[in-house]
Amino acid sequence: MPKTGGNAVDIELTINGERTTVEAGSADDLATVLRQHGYIGVKCGCDGGTCGASKVFIDGEVRMACGMAATDADGSEIRTVAALGTQADLHPVQQAFVDNFAVQCGFCIPGMVIQAVALLDSNPDPTEQEVREALDDNVCRCTGYQKPVEAVLDAAGRMQGEQSVAADGGRPVTVPPHGDESTSCCGGGCDE
Amino acid sequence: MRLHGGRPVSDSDRVRKTSKQPEGTERKEPDPTEADRESATGAAREPDRKPESERDAISVDEEKDDARKIVTGQARYTADYRDRFPDLAHGRVVRSDIAHGYVESVDTSAAEAMDGVDAVITPFDDVVPDKLYSSSGQSYPEPSPWDLKVLREHVRFVGDPVAAVAADDPETADRAARKIEVEYRELDAVFDPEEAFGEDAPQLFEADDVENKQSGADYSQNLESHFEGELGDVDAEFEQASDDEERYVIETEWETPYQSHCVPEPHTTIAYTDEDDRHTFITATQVPFHTRRQIAHLFDVPIRNVRVKKPRIGAGFGSKQEMAIEPITFALHLAADRPVKLEMSRQEEFTALRFRHPMQMQMRTAVTDDGDIEAMDLYTLSNSGAYGTHGMTVANNVGTKPLPLYPRVPNVRFSGDVVHTNLPMGAAMRGYGAPQGHFAVEAHMDEVARHLGFDPIEFRLQNAVREGDLDRSVAILKDGDRFTREIRSCGIRECVDRGKEAIGYDGIEQPDEDHRKRGVGMALIAQGSGVAGKELGAAQVQMNEDGSFHLQVGGVDTGTGADTMFSQIAAEVLGCTPEDVVVIAADTDLTPFDYGAYASSTTYISGRAVKNAAEDAKERLLEWGSKLIDEPPEALDTGDGGVYSERTDDSVSLEEIGYEATYGDDEREHILGDGNHSTDESPPPYGAQFVDVTVDTETGEYELNKLVFAADCGVAINPALVEGQIEGGEHMSLEYATSGDLTFDEEGNPEVLGFRQYGMPRTTDHPEMETVLVETHEPTGPFGAKSIAELPTNGVPPALSNAIRDAVGVRLTELPFTAEDLKAALDERSADDG
Ligand code: FES
Ligand code: FES
Repeated sequence: MPKTGGNAVDIELTINGERTTVEAGSADDLATVLRQHGYIGVKCGCDGGTCGASKVFIDGEVRMACGMAATDADGSEIRTVAALGTQADLHPVQQAFVDNFAVQCGFCIPGMVIQAVALLDSNPDPTEQEVREALDDNVCRCTGYQKPVEAVLDAAGRMQGEQSVAADGGRPVTVPPHGDESTSCCGGGCDE
Repeated sequence: MRLHGGRPVSDSDRVRKTSKQPEGTERKEPDPTEADRESATGAAREPDRKPESERDAISVDEEKDDARKIVTGQARYTADYRDRFPDLAHGRVVRSDIAHGYVESVDTSAAEAMDGVDAVITPFDDVVPDKLYSSSGQSYPEPSPWDLKVLREHVRFVGDPVAAVAADDPETADRAARKIEVEYRELDAVFDPEEAFGEDAPQLFEADDVENKQSGADYSQNLESHFEGELGDVDAEFEQASDDEERYVIETEWETPYQSHCVPEPHTTIAYTDEDDRHTFITATQVPFHTRRQIAHLFDVPIRNVRVKKPRIGAGFGSKQEMAIEPITFALHLAADRPVKLEMSRQEEFTALRFRHPMQMQMRTAVTDDGDIEAMDLYTLSNSGAYGTHGMTVANNVGTKPLPLYPRVPNVRFSGDVVHTNLPMGAAMRGYGAPQGHFAVEAHMDEVARHLGFDPIEFRLQNAVREGDLDRSVAILKDGDRFTREIRSCGIRECVDRGKEAIGYDGIEQPDEDHRKRGVGMALIAQGSGVAGKELGAAQVQMNEDGSFHLQVGGVDTGTGADTMFSQIAAEVLGCTPEDVVVIAADTDLTPFDYGAYASSTTYISGRAVKNAAEDAKERLLEWGSKLIDEPPEALDTGDGGVYSERTDDSVSLEEIGYEATYGDDEREHILGDGNHSTDESPPPYGAQFVDVTVDTETGEYELNKLVFAADCGVAINPALVEGQIEGGEHMSLEYATSGDLTFDEEGNPEVLGFRQYGMPRTTDHPEMETVLVETHEPTGPFGAKSIAELPTNGVPPALSNAIRDAVGVRLTELPFTAEDLKAALDERSADDG
């Protein structure tokens, strides 16, 4: 249960490609503010900074949104799990989580998916140990981590496959690993 | 191994039930078809046993129905419904900061004077019922004492709720809660269960503080329950064995700690009253129907005016088999007169909610020198903490789950005491007493085998359960013998064989360094499938015109994939695909009744109800098919999205049937099917847990090289989901063995407040895991299925204790196993040797 409160101020955020002004208390953490504005793909499973469920991209970096004062995020570019793909057109990491049965109750999954996307962005061909280290601060109570780890390795394979298609001269697949801020699921209107 | 005197347990006034089965008593032969009275007959009766080639929707890895919603962040859990309530108030609970005492006064004036505060409630308010109840989500009347009040004047542990506030926003609620001043009159407290058990200890409950007392209760000595049951004559056997050179008596002691569920989504409830004056709960629960009944009783409102809806939930593991926060939320809602959301913090989860009961166990066996077990005697002292939810029933399962691994042992005694202390309350947690019991029984058996010079696995297989055995020990505490069970499916030997192969049992190589030793240990495991004689599941199938179906089922998917499993069972009967089945589940207004997700009952009980409902609908499908293709229903079957004739190959699609039945010229019918399931059966799934470990004899540090779990859960409806259950269960079991524990200071203050202090294993703490599924066919289960969810939580502590024993020859008996404990055991042994 993250922290809230303090005097309200307006902050400017770009969330999943959409610019918006939100009101935030000076002591509000970013996870609470995002959730208040309907971005329910940001989960809160601890009292701050220890479960990984609230991970989002802030200016391209993975952060636990609960561990950051909303006012400190003023002016930044935020991407939640909802910006990565839609149910009908999943990001390869999301698709791999579905196909590998890496999802049980799902409460930890948005944070895991964000972390996995970041890992594969910086390290497209990780070893199992590297995947485990990357996910080490994402706690999951349901899966024993086995299938999430398998899913990330599988996603790496799939994304490599896509790249090799492009390298072979085929049409590159336009799945942004992350960072293409203009791409949200439907222009932002249906988000979460 | 430590030997001890053993607690006398034969005071007859405290004996709950001693069931002696005289020689020659007739074997009970339960009739597997008896359970199916409700279901369809004739052509619509779906064969339970199908060769793999004839299975369409079952035994396949059907995509989990909510997976896409989850990976895109669109799944709604309780707290995600806040946007539906513009005037939602946020709750906060004020908790006792002393371990034992009375609330003398509560000053709420400062909180009430604050802007944005909507309600403040204390034990003295009319809106808070002054009634005793049990929070355990069990059948009625609960086999747990009614010893709780919604807010507590008499506080019994640090964390007991004494007041609560609701405010316009969480921050105001927090500040208001901190302004509430509580004055206490402190009482002596007791934290050790052995000290608590007796007349001289501080007493937590007066006799009239509790209603619905459980068997053997004696609150003058903090005893919530004593129970005892016996088969044969255990004392006589031990006496003879001690005088006999060819028999041995071996006795061991075991101790287990508190464990937290670490439930991913903290307990969360939204309570509101709608325009029809009906009270509605959106709540993270495993037991919507029990909660509805309990709320109705506690607040004295008609059951029909309470609605409990379970949205997606962030798992439960037993922590949500509890009406833990719904009553406070509801009282706040009544006081504030607007919708209220109450959400627990992680600190509350770790200090004030629910836990696995710590226990101390003693196990004694008499064995012959050719390895036959002649007598078993298991005793447990369970620390119930401050209240009794699931106290007796969890302790009962310490024996009734693992002892049936050895059903041919002629003399068996199992007894226990459940004792209150001023610590947080134990409750239901995945495994439900079986993890404690398996630690004692399966590490003990390993020790016995080594004592006798037997291979530990061979010794156990010599005595272990076989198909066709009559298991009486499962009913050792019950009245009558109707719960004695015949074992109709048992793949335990194949689990052992395939597990041995997977772990490389016969070819373990020792490390090169002298101070590093490697060993392998194994534990046999059994669980149940539902609570025998105390379950009910129901379901309804409705056909849509386009040949799809709505399936309404009371069963509760806690994240396991149960809804997907339901759709597979229904599809297999109806001849459609699982995607053609829309599952509507766990809403007391919309779905038939179900006891809820606990005791590994969902596939076996609720799944069977779904199968029965689908067969009932299938009967109508065949009837309509018969009209349309002009052949008798007996000649027809469902499959491939239609009804077809095996004789002529004629067929008609489900869609054609749907339209014809709904809009036909002559006759019309909404094709419906309903199904119930209740039974006295609870067939055990079986497993074998293997652990491969390397110990550093210089430091006592140990490293797990690999875990293997081989499971017999009957027919796996969705094998990938089954594997997920096993891997997740092993994770909890790994924690129990190696790192999970709660500690308290000498005043009962909790020292573990969050994930930072608690030893929950992370990705890098997990060794390689391999899972093996062994298929058997359970004739009483839906398509041969038994249960899986709890089975894999039982194995790592005994298997790791056994592996360490194998590696370095010392026995660890207290969870969790630390490097210090292991080093101390090694040092002690060298001292003895020296
Ligand atoms: S809520 Fe942010 S890490 Fe747990
Ligand atoms: S899937 Fe439930 S916590 Fe990870």
